[in-house]
Amino acid sequence: MATTKGTKSTKVGTRVRGGEVRVDLETLKKTVDEGLGEARTAESADALEAVRITYLGRKGLMPQVMKELKSVAPEERAEVGRLANSFKNELAALLESRRGELNGAHSASDEAPVFDFTLPGQGSRRGTRHPISMVIEEAVAIFGRMGFTVAEGPDVETPYHNFDALNTAAHHPARDRQDTFWLDDGNLLRTQTSPVQIRVMESRQPPVRIVTPGRCYRRDTTDATHSANFHQIEGLYVDHDVSLADLKGALAYFAHEMMGPDVAVRFRPHFFPFTEPSVECDFSCHVCGGAGCRVCKGSGWIEIAGAGMVDPRVFERVGYDPESTTGYAFGMGIERIAMIRYGIPDIRLLYENDMRFLRQFS
Amino acid sequence: MKLPLSWLREYVAVEAPAEEIAERLTFSGTEVEGIEHLGAGCEDIIVGEIRTVTAHPKADRLRLCRVFNGTDEVPVVCGADNVEVGAKAAFAPLGATLPDGMTIKQAKLRGEISQGMLCAEDELGLSSDHGGIMLLPPETVAGTPLLEVLGGVETVLELEVTWNRSDCLSVIGMAREVAALYGVELKVPQPVLAESGKPVAEWTRVEVADAADCPRYTARVLTGAVLKPSPLWMRRRLSCCGVRPINNVVDITNYVMLECGQPLHAFDFAMLTDSRIVVRRAATGERMATLDDEERELTSEMLVIADAERPVAVAGIMGGAGSEIGDSTQTVLLESATFDPALTHRASVALGLSTDASHRFERTVDRSTTEWASRRAAVLMSELADAAVAPGMIDVQAEPETAAPIACRLARLRAILGVPLEHSEVLRILTALQIPAIDAGDDVIHVVPPSFRPDLKIEADLIEEVIRVHGLDELPAADPIGRIVVDADDARPRAVAACRDHLVGLGLSEIMNYSFLSSRALDRFGREGVAQRVELLDPVSADHGVMRDSLIPQMAESLGRNVTHQELDAACFEIGRVFFRENGAIGEEDRLAIGIMGRAAGSSTGGAPVTPEATFLRLKGVLEELARVQNVRDVAWTPGDDPAFETGWCVALSIDGVVVGRAGLLTADIRHNWRIQNPVALMELKLDSIISQLHDTTSFTAIPVYPSVARDLAVIVDEAVQHGDILRVINSVSPEELTDIGLFDIFRSKEMGNRRKSMAYTLTYRSAERTLTDEETNSQHAAIMDRLREELGAEIKER
Repeated sequence: MATTKGTKSTKVGTRVRGGEVRVDLETLKKTVDEGLGEARTAESADALEAVRITYLGRKGLMPQVMKELKSVAPEERAEVGRLANSFKNELAALLESRRGELNGAHSASDEAPVFDFTLPGQGSRRGTRHPISMVIEEAVAIFGRMGFTVAEGPDVETPYHNFDALNTAAHHPARDRQDTFWLDDGNLLRTQTSPVQIRVMESRQPPVRIVTPGRCYRRDTTDATHSANFHQIEGLYVDHDVSLADLKGALAYFAHEMMGPDVAVRFRPHFFPFTEPSVECDFSCHVCGGAGCRVCKGSGWIEIAGAGMVDPRVFERVGYDPESTTGYAFGMGIERIAMIRYGIPDIRLLYENDMRFLRQFS
Repeated sequence: MKLPLSWLREYVAVEAPAEEIAERLTFSGTEVEGIEHLGAGCEDIIVGEIRTVTAHPKADRLRLCRVFNGTDEVPVVCGADNVEVGAKAAFAPLGATLPDGMTIKQAKLRGEISQGMLCAEDELGLSSDHGGIMLLPPETVAGTPLLEVLGGVETVLELEVTWNRSDCLSVIGMAREVAALYGVELKVPQPVLAESGKPVAEWTRVEVADAADCPRYTARVLTGAVLKPSPLWMRRRLSCCGVRPINNVVDITNYVMLECGQPLHAFDFAMLTDSRIVVRRAATGERMATLDDEERELTSEMLVIADAERPVAVAGIMGGAGSEIGDSTQTVLLESATFDPALTHRASVALGLSTDASHRFERTVDRSTTEWASRRAAVLMSELADAAVAPGMIDVQAEPETAAPIACRLARLRAILGVPLEHSEVLRILTALQIPAIDAGDDVIHVVPPSFRPDLKIEADLIEEVIRVHGLDELPAADPIGRIVVDADDARPRAVAACRDHLVGLGLSEIMNYSFLSSRALDRFGREGVAQRVELLDPVSADHGVMRDSLIPQMAESLGRNVTHQELDAACFEIGRVFFRENGAIGEEDRLAIGIMGRAAGSSTGGAPVTPEATFLRLKGVLEELARVQNVRDVAWTPGDDPAFETGWCVALSIDGVVVGRAGLLTADIRHNWRIQNPVALMELKLDSIISQLHDTTSFTAIPVYPSVARDLAVIVDEAVQHGDILRVINSVSPEELTDIGLFDIFRSKEMGNRRKSMAYTLTYRSAERTLTDEETNSQHAAIMDRLREELGAEIKER
């Protein structure tokens, strides 16, 4: 194409006076070839980017062509548009594939650092639950599935709620100063969470379906298996037509939820002032499956709970009709379950708050 | 209680092995805690006759004996005091193995050869007696195996008799149980007395001041008693039961008590002033020496057996030293009586004196056994102590209470147990237990509790009897069903559980401390509350003498103990109860304590020391986040004062103007007690203040549709100006569109000047109605900057 005075040839055509560019097909074809060639031979990501900016960038050649399309000779206009579009697509694809090639070559090279995936992760860590509260929470959840809700009561109790209302004889040894912590106002530190059962029954009519986790106190000298304060969870179900077989069913469900699906329960007759009949409940040993081992002292069974049918005299005390009302109650030591379940050899570890111990129960 | 099987089998013909009997007893309510085989391992032990005894030339406490083993005389060195020429004793010859596995070898003791060992009972595993070598009856023949003399190995069951079953505290009582379990006959012998001399009423009189204290008192007089050791068989049985043999008269009283459960006491009749017995309350301050040679001070809450002048026994507990049976005793007054259980128990506790007798009286002794026991003991004393029994027995007793009949309804029994027991089975069990049962038809059985079963009072007691003998093995486990109690509200305990979870999620570890500690440990944290502290009347130790009135001291101690284990970084919380006096009453309250020391787990290690600021702010961050997730707004931190915390680092925490807790940095003084180097931030608040929002009140607000504009500014102010002041000033301008104020940097430099700091904030503006223009944002921002300059003298740099 001839140039005239006042015009200047560009890569896509001829710049005329006033800055306009007149696009012509021949120049454009040459430019297309050049562009693809540059893209094929570029040796770095930066060089590729320069090619992109030159041809496809906002102020690059192709947008310029599209903008000036109206100035193209009418007979060439369709062809120029087609060529520019196909070039744009072809170059973009080429740039993309070349960029991939160059990046691959780059990370394989030795100069760039490789990320160390073995570095420790960052961010704050979750804390740990105390084994006692873990066992309480799990027990509450298991009984919760059977419809039991949690009830709470005070640690400082009246002798009435801790003993009298529970049908404990005036001269029962549990009341002695050698067994119970008494306070100077005539009250005491509860020796069991059973007084909570009394308080709940005093406050409402049946049905009652509660568990009462909490801290209890007995005047034991601390050793590997005794602690002057400890935790219990007790349960009470009072309604009409509640039987000893229902109690066994509830404790059997608890046993395999808490200790494992193969754990069985058995009852032995016993005596508690507030239940009649009274039983002690053994779980088959979750470690040896009943064959006998160190954990169950060779017997295959582990004593876990005291339980029984609520004594009608207790119902009388709380103003329930002992004839139409029946119910069961049970109680067990949380520390004992925690020790058996986690293999903790000494109850004192539970109250030493040694981080090396606590970290094991995340 | 210990139960020798050979003794049991005198009353009930059960040949089952010990293990099986133990199993049956355990599963019928009397747990067998152990089975001992006394005499096992004594197969090598023989009777030795001590021929000579001479002093050891080099040791005062050893003697040289020559012991005849049936064939030879061998030299034996012995340290016991009771070696005597002519005595027969348990002897372990050379090569013999003792029950503990030790084999006897020739030995030299201080230069003297010993070829065997004279044994004490404990060395043979026969009892815990180590009072000397085990002497055997003179008629035994040297060389005879010991087990032949003893009548073989004795199997002893160790029983845990429950508190309600006083009837099981005897061999005959247990025989009754075993007879019922095995369905065999109980054979109790009827002792037949031969009486002589002047009748008992001419010897003595008995006066009972109050029949309520002593429902029955019987007395016999026996004359011409010859005091000597009991026969070996009796001594063996006493030893098997853990009772130390003394002499024939005393041993007989113990033997009969073990046999039938009725405690007996024998007085030296000659020592009773005016030859009579008065059962009365002690006068307060009255004193007597008991058999254990302790001088006891008595009170009017104690029942005594007295003569005309002074107490000669604490009723039901222990005899007096002054009337003790001794070698000079010839005439014996034999007491068989019952005493009020509660009274006996209180006296036993008050005196700190628990005996085999008090153990039984506290649990009720059957009045119908009282006479049998007296007769049985009198017969034994005439046989074994050559005593003559004065005719008759003084018997002072109140009218016996007749037990009320109990109706046992089969329908009720089946409903309570959930087991369809047959009518005939129920009758069979009650009859086997010797509980008289009358079938009243209509599936009701009437029962009159026998005198030996005072524990049977209501229908439920009978239901228990039936199921414990029937066996619990077949009790079905019913699938748990039942109603949901719809109005039961446990929102609070669930909120506490959620609070625990949040704290663990925030990186804290849960700890638990005892509810009591020493007053010294509390004092270290301030003595302001001393008067409000709750002390235990009888603490196990002074270290656990006071109920905690705060969780802070133990939290600090727990962190400190960890430092001694090189655990320098810890973040802990405890949820626990504290106790205090309030308006004269004892109150309690749940609290939450948090303690932070060192670095956060998972943060990069090393580098600069942990600052007090960083530690305090970590604590604050935990509480802020906890409050946020618990839906508790606006916890106010205001300067406080607390002896446990460093001055200037102590705050009071309040919600809605009510103080709910405190926080601060532990004083250096207290930290040094445990050599804690890092700052320790502690906080304690009322648990309920942080879980007050029991129900989720969250409600949705529309997500903003218009973009926000963020503007940074640096506020250069005097050191005294606090973040809170800047917030207050900014908020006082309070443009509607200011939605967030974020502090992102605090910076100090020389250029800024001494005691100046730059605090950099990002202020975010956004309108709910439109996109804010630059002009609008600028004017709001400018107003804020102006206010900061005016009120705080701040120099502002826009960024």
